[in-house]
Amino acid sequence: MFDFDATLPLMAIQFLLLMVLLNALFFKPLMKALDDRDSYIRSNQADAQERLANAERLAKQYEDELAASRREAQAIVANAQNEAQQIAAQRLAAAQQEAQAQREQAQRELDQQKAEAMQSLEQQVETLSRQILDKVLGSSVG
Amino acid sequence: MQMLSFLDTFTAFPLAELEVGKHFYWEIGNLKLHGQVFITSWIVITILLVASILATRNIQRVPQGIQNVMEYALEFVRDIAKNQLGEKEYRPWLPFIGTLFLFIFVSNWSGALIPWRLIHLPEGELAAPTSDINTTVALALLTSLAYFYAGFSKRGLGYFSKYVEPTPILLPIAILEDFTKPLSLSFRLFGNILADELVVAVLVLLVPLFVPIPVMLLGLFTSAIQALVFSTLAGAYIHEALEGHGGDDHGEH
Repeated sequence: MFDFDATLPLMAIQFLLLMVLLNALFFKPLMKALDDRDSYIRSNQADAQERLANAERLAKQYEDELAASRREAQAIVANAQNEAQQIAAQRLAAAQQEAQAQREQAQRELDQQKAEAMQSLEQQVETLSRQILDKVLGSSVG
Repeated sequence: MQMLSFLDTFTAFPLAELEVGKHFYWEIGNLKLHGQVFITSWIVITILLVASILATRNIQRVPQGIQNVMEYALEFVRDIAKNQLGEKEYRPWLPFIGTLFLFIFVSNWSGALIPWRLIHLPEGELAAPTSDINTTVALALLTSLAYFYAGFSKRGLGYFSKYVEPTPILLPIAILEDFTKPLSLSFRLFGNILADELVVAVLVLLVPLFVPIPVMLLGLFTSAIQALVFSTLAGAYIHEALEGHGGDDHGEH
């Protein structure tokens, strides 16, 4: 069972040959494949992380812009409401003024006509009173 | 006598037989070789090479089929080497430790899975290459050479300082360690694999059906463990030679 012979050195040489062959056929190419895959995955991951950071940055930027434009829109709406109120107030004031003016003018015309009527009445009072006097006193005086 | 004749009927039963210590000798010049070991080891080597070529013939970024399997194997042996030698040192030693693991593992499992004994040889029988002491001693001596080489290439003659490092009193033990390491490596592997094959063979001899199956499954398990232990210890020894803190044995399994 323990008979050593030339099998031993030949087996050692054979093993070394196998090692050289496997190194060339198996270990080197597959280790290279594993390393390549590792670096590929690592670079892809770095790339993806960079893209993710980029996307997050863009999203934040867009959100900021969105908030800014929303604020702007609110400002514009408030401004427009303000202006509209101002215009409405102006118009109201102008209309009230005009109405006042028209009323005053109408009043003045009324007064004038009343005065004219009174005046013409006063003129007629004399002639009428003379006529009345003539009629009453005519017979006695005449 | 009654008992012996009973046993004789069993050995005459043609399903299985035990042939330990017989070899199918090849003679080259005046060198003797164990032919059955070389035949099975060539089959194992062919399996490994064909699998490697198939896996790396068309390398994809997303692995499929055989490439996936071999990448799993590679990651497994890489983890063995990395755990023992550390992230920085393991790369140059990966082929050695990885080939150790793959060769021993495929050898052991070939012994457990391929019905070698159905192929008849003129003498001896085919079995896992690792059930021959020559193979395991060759691998263990290569491991010794590997860790000596690792120590010398890393630290030059300063490697010898590890023999007297904590205290010179331990010098004999430190020297003894260099002999016990390959001895324990080779005999552990040889003993486990041969014992497993013998147990399975004996059980098949006694009860040819179903009963040997649990032992065969156990054999698959121990075979894998032995491959793992051998390559892990090789890595540990190389690491020890590289780092130079002696006496830190990683335990015998």
